[in-house]
Amino acid sequence: MTYWALDAVFLAAVVVVALVALAVRRPPRPLALAAGLAVLLLLTVVFDNVMIGVGLVAYDPARISGVFVGAAPLEDFAYAVAAAVLLPSLWALLSPRRGSQG
Amino acid sequence: MGALYLVALAIALAGMVVLDRRFRLFFWHPAPHSARRAGIVLVVGVVFFLGWDVAGIRLGIFFRGETAFMTGVQLAPELPLEEVLFLTLLCYLAMNAYGALARVIPLVEERTSAARPRLETTTRDTGEHG
Repeated sequence: MTYWALDAVFLAAVVVVALVALAVRRPPRPLALAAGLAVLLLLTVVFDNVMIGVGLVAYDPARISGVFVGAAPLEDFAYAVAAAVLLPSLWALLSPRRGSQG
Repeated sequence: MGALYLVALAIALAGMVVLDRRFRLFFWHPAPHSARRAGIVLVVGVVFFLGWDVAGIRLGIFFRGETAFMTGVQLAPELPLEEVLFLTLLCYLAMNAYGALARVIPLVEERTSAARPRLETTTRDTGEHG
């Protein structure tokens, strides 16, 4: 299994949670979500490169696409995408119902 | 040397908690039951990403690098103790950022729409002078 295939499985779960949040009309704020994603992607560029540079993590070259941002495999950015979408979606899903707020 | 990464993660995580408390972003969010909600979001997030990590390690996609910066304590083969703190930091950062942006963006939009008539006047004035 390639890194992209692994990412696809977990990103699919993220999409499901985001769709549920939309379906029950408790979506996260889209602009804040998008801006948060931009922040996480930028920080991933910086810190993933540092972490790989000092040897905290390594990859099997046969299972990654070979597309890099510096030293970071492009596939790693799926973690940032998942964090930026999944967590605000869960947060919004767990918000109290408007009716119960009184 | 062996605890350098762990200490760095702990400091960064402490920073997240300080920011959260100071600006009421996540656990201290003013919404009802925010601490309980934040706890659930954080635990689900960390467990989700740990599952992703373990799957990647078992499939041989990525593995722990040989480095002097880690304690060497492993929770599972190739899964260092530090990874749990890293994933907690990632999740906390994502929610602090979202909490801050969800509050700041509407304020900016409000200010921009309030300032728009003035901006139009300025543009017209500049046009006349040009």
